[in-house]
Amino acid sequence: MGSPMEMNGGSVIAMTGKDCVAIASDLRLGQQAVGLSADFEKVFPINNQLYVGLPGFATDTYTLREHLRFRVNMYRMKEEREITPKTFAHLLSSTLYEKRFGPYFIEPVIAGIPAPSAIDPDPKPFICNMDTIGCITTPKDFVVAGTATDKLYGVAEGLWEPDLEPEDLFETISQTLLAAVDRDCISGWGAVVHVITKDKIITRHLKGRMD
Amino acid sequence: MESLVASLNSRPPHLLHDNAEENEYEGDASLAQWGSSGGFGNLMGNGVVRGMEMPRVPDPTAFLSHHTDSISSNSQAKIKLAHGTTTLAFRFRGGIIVSVDSRASAGSYIASGTVKKVIEINKYLLGTMAGGAADCQYWETYLGMQCRMHELRNKERISVAAASKILANIVYEYKGRGLSMGTMICGWDKTGPALFYVDSDGTRLKGDIFSVGSGSTFAYGVLDQGYHWDLTDEEAQELGRRSIVAAGHRDGYSGNTNNLYHVRENGWEFLGNLDISDLWYKYEEEKKTARKEKSEAAGTGGVESMQVE
Amino acid sequence: MPEAIQHRFDPYSSNGGSILAIAGKDFAVVAGDTRQSEGYSIQSRYQKKVFPLTSKAILAVNGFAADGNNFVKRVKQRLEWYTHAHNKEMPIKSIARLIQTMLYARRMFPYYVYNVLAGIEEDDGTGAVYSFDPVGSYERETCRAAGAAQSLLQPFLDNQIYFRNHTPAPGQPPFDPSTHPLSTVLSILVDSFSSATERHIEVGDFLEGYVILSPGRTSDDLIGEGVKGVLPEGMTVEEQDPEDLDVQSAVAGKGCRVFLVRKELKRD
Repeated sequence: MGSPMEMNGGSVIAMTGKDCVAIASDLRLGQQAVGLSADFEKVFPINNQLYVGLPGFATDTYTLREHLRFRVNMYRMKEEREITPKTFAHLLSSTLYEKRFGPYFIEPVIAGIPAPSAIDPDPKPFICNMDTIGCITTPKDFVVAGTATDKLYGVAEGLWEPDLEPEDLFETISQTLLAAVDRDCISGWGAVVHVITKDKIITRHLKGRMD
Repeated sequence: MESLVASLNSRPPHLLHDNAEENEYEGDASLAQWGSSGGFGNLMGNGVVRGMEMPRVPDPTAFLSHHTDSISSNSQAKIKLAHGTTTLAFRFRGGIIVSVDSRASAGSYIASGTVKKVIEINKYLLGTMAGGAADCQYWETYLGMQCRMHELRNKERISVAAASKILANIVYEYKGRGLSMGTMICGWDKTGPALFYVDSDGTRLKGDIFSVGSGSTFAYGVLDQGYHWDLTDEEAQELGRRSIVAAGHRDGYSGNTNNLYHVRENGWEFLGNLDISDLWYKYEEEKKTARKEKSEAAGTGGVESMQVE
Repeated sequence: MPEAIQHRFDPYSSNGGSILAIAGKDFAVVAGDTRQSEGYSIQSRYQKKVFPLTSKAILAVNGFAADGNNFVKRVKQRLEWYTHAHNKEMPIKSIARLIQTMLYARRMFPYYVYNVLAGIEEDDGTGAVYSFDPVGSYERETCRAAGAAQSLLQPFLDNQIYFRNHTPAPGQPPFDPSTHPLSTVLSILVDSFSSATERHIEVGDFLEGYVILSPGRTSDDLIGEGVKGVLPEGMTVEEQDPEDLDVQSAVAGKGCRVFLVRKELKRD
């Protein structure tokens, strides 16, 4: 009986670029050693400015996704506007802390660019991650989560540089994710990358190793 | 009577020679051994490593299983040894096909994707590696030495049965002490192609089809449905590759590349190292084209039969 | 009433750090950081982990420093006996096999050491790297990272040395890992360790290692005019005199040039 974080496998990474962010995940769902599905996405759109990655225990991935959908819909109804990435991060953080003594086994990753507003006319790209009980960290470069974190840190630290254009950011995050999951037995089986800029979101599937 | 009992009384290998007095140099029993016999020179004829150093604790096996992850998946262990695999071998009309993957995992980290899991014992004998990599490499190299000694003493090649028995007897001496080995000894001798499965529990089985390792169940699936004694060489080789690809795909602890060998009467032949992921994509394409062709062929028939007059 | 404490024989400890070796066509590079730690404390900012064995082979050890240092001592002793008995240095592939049998002799009470042996192959002068697990399984590779940060270093090396997941531009031939020039390898080495130092607490302080060049290799840019193009910034280099290497080179092999390279790493 392994730890819940290593039961299903999977990894997520997000990186910042010049007026863009990218978030990517692998597609594997496994049951310990056995791979079960090659299309288990772990990164979900919240709205057109914001994506969230939920790697970890697969059942909690689904549960949290649905719970967050409910919370974000309520927010939209009450506030009559879209939630911004930073607010969403705090929403997710308090949701996780509610379960402090019986947590969701998920280490979320958030990536987004807020829409311009009166208070913030020139918004900066935003990434953050948190632990299973909601402690938020907001680095400027990249965030990683899942079973391949060590490998992702190693490659990302070597490949990332500031102010990458969207196309270059796509190449960098793809190489990082593929190199890392190819050294992890329980991540892989394909990958998806979302590159978010001010006006559009481009989603691409990567051809990864299927072993 | 007493001498009979004494001679049959098998003391555990590590107590056969009192380390403390004799052995100041660990692994080298005497000064005479510094010359050319360094390494395997310190082994006695029956394969027991003379003076194999043991920790001075009441239960050495428990010590080993606490500090290393050799026996079970002990994630607390500091010393991580390389594991995880799929290996298979099967006997058929044209000899023996031996097909293995090349991944070694330490926990969930892929320590290596280029491990050679087929050990070339000599020109006509192959051994496979599953379980503890060091145990397999070390003892199968030693087995190669013993096979050569047999040739020199008897002026004929050793049979696969005898070779596998030498190995089985060695690991039996260490039974319960923490070795981890699941190997197949494959060769062609006077009785034809011969395949033996030997493991560290002391099991030794003669058979036609074996698959060993964490991915063996997946390999058996493909192997069993495609196996026939009268396969042609090409069909058998392809079956060997496909079984490993299936296992490498499904099993997280198997994968990377496939090494394929064919054992024939005059020795083994290495048939190449192919990437498992590339092969998987190739087979998917083939499946897709096959389905397309099939539905096109069926489609024309279908339309005709569905025509309503 | 205090509880009874069960004592267990617990001889092992992990001293952190990382080592890395890369083999080129006619050279080999092997280096490690010099930090030795235990848990959250740093025992030393400078402790060697990379030791020349012969004029053609260098051994890097990582894991439990006590076992590592003792193992190197025993290997050097065996090599000395061999040199006296055979009047020549042990070739690197034989050293690799020797290390296997020495490690396996302790199968029941392992050396907690991850070894990486690097140098020049006797037969063909190519660079060679051999990596071992603690009980002696080994294989020859092009590059290997070991130690606390191995899961950070190795995937980066896969991407940069082996070109994994790189697709050549249309019309270009496939990538060939054996053709990396020394300058590329050194800069990958330095980048790898800088990244590992950033993200792993047990890696840092100094990077120290050796570059060993095959005898057949022509002029070298490591010492002299060409040095600016080859050495990464901040790296110092000193050519090693075989007599200073503390090896049994009374019968030293045909002129492999060995260079000690050093660089500072972050100390936090």
